[in-house]
Amino acid sequence: MSQDVATIRVTRYRPEKDSKPFFQEYKVPYRHDMVVLDALNYIKAEIDGSLTYRWSCRMGVCGSCGANIDGEPKLTCASFLHDFKGRTITIEPMTHFPVIKDLVVDMEDFMEKLVKIKPWIIRDKETPPEQGEYKQSAQELERYSQFSSCINCMLCYAACPIYGLNEKFLGPAATALAYRYIEDSRDQGKDVRFPIVHEMEGVWECTLVGECSVVCPKGVDPMLAIQKTKILGATNALKSLLMPRGGH
Amino acid sequence: MGDAKRYPELRRRLSYRWWTANRHYTMYMVREWTSLFVALYSLMFIYGLSLWATGSRADFLNFLKNPAIIGFSLIAFVFTMYHAATWFYLLGAVVPVKIGRSRTKPWQALVLNIILLIIISFLAIWLVVLR
Repeated sequence: MSQDVATIRVTRYRPEKDSKPFFQEYKVPYRHDMVVLDALNYIKAEIDGSLTYRWSCRMGVCGSCGANIDGEPKLTCASFLHDFKGRTITIEPMTHFPVIKDLVVDMEDFMEKLVKIKPWIIRDKETPPEQGEYKQSAQELERYSQFSSCINCMLCYAACPIYGLNEKFLGPAATALAYRYIEDSRDQGKDVRFPIVHEMEGVWECTLVGECSVVCPKGVDPMLAIQKTKILGATNALKSLLMPRGGH
Repeated sequence: MGDAKRYPELRRRLSYRWWTANRHYTMYMVREWTSLFVALYSLMFIYGLSLWATGSRADFLNFLKNPAIIGFSLIAFVFTMYHAATWFYLLGAVVPVKIGRSRTKPWQALVLNIILLIIISFLAIWLVVLR
């Protein structure tokens, strides 16, 4: 069986040796069913063991292997090598994030944002499990279900120029997750989450570039979640202005 | 991380040419820049109205008849229409209306809003000029 050869250009940044990043080129033989992550694994196993990158599941579930492939934020496990046939494939660490080494970025900022929006169901009063589960209809589930598909791969942050300008911006995935809980009929944490998503660097920083929703590998539409959160916030503010004694 | 030595992280700055990186970014910038013409036209029109308020109607009309102003108004009109169309489309993307089991598509919001814009503009012209 004949094999094609891909030319892969990878960003190298070795902080213990280099003060600046540089590109290193590798030749990788590949079959039709191989993805960019397979090429990185080939390089690490066969050519250069020092190449560093994150990966885990190889099947678009864990969200670890994001990188900029030819400038676009993508999962390396979901990008076939044959789609780039005949040209050099450039692989860079995801845009906007600080780089720790080679393709590995610092996720700390995103992790803090995830925790900040309290991604769990908040109840005024927890009922003991013996009293049964909190029930929900199919229609109630549909209101938020797409936003619960997020795998925290951070591609949406890499695609967001607003986040690139201001890293304090709460950003697409964290807001989509906040909205997922705000819209969940079992949740009662609106009053806790609203001040978080509506602070200065919350949803109002978004100027609707929309690229977050374009790059999402799981079909989540964070742009929609952000705008819906804006609408909810604006109507809530209006309500409390007109009915100060409780309009929720 | 424990006591392991931390090396400096590489921090990258957003390039001022970021909006040339792909077509979506470029179209976003076109959308944002066209709003500048909306603002400039508004300023121009406020100045025109001030001529009417302080001086005569003739001053105002002469100002509007200036070929440079007519030229700029035409350009501003094209950009304003483009700017409006992009937001009509986004309106449809952000607040789709649920009809039965299906949801409206963004282009439907665009078409509906343009029709409404034409009707409202005609009504305004009729009320102020033609009546």
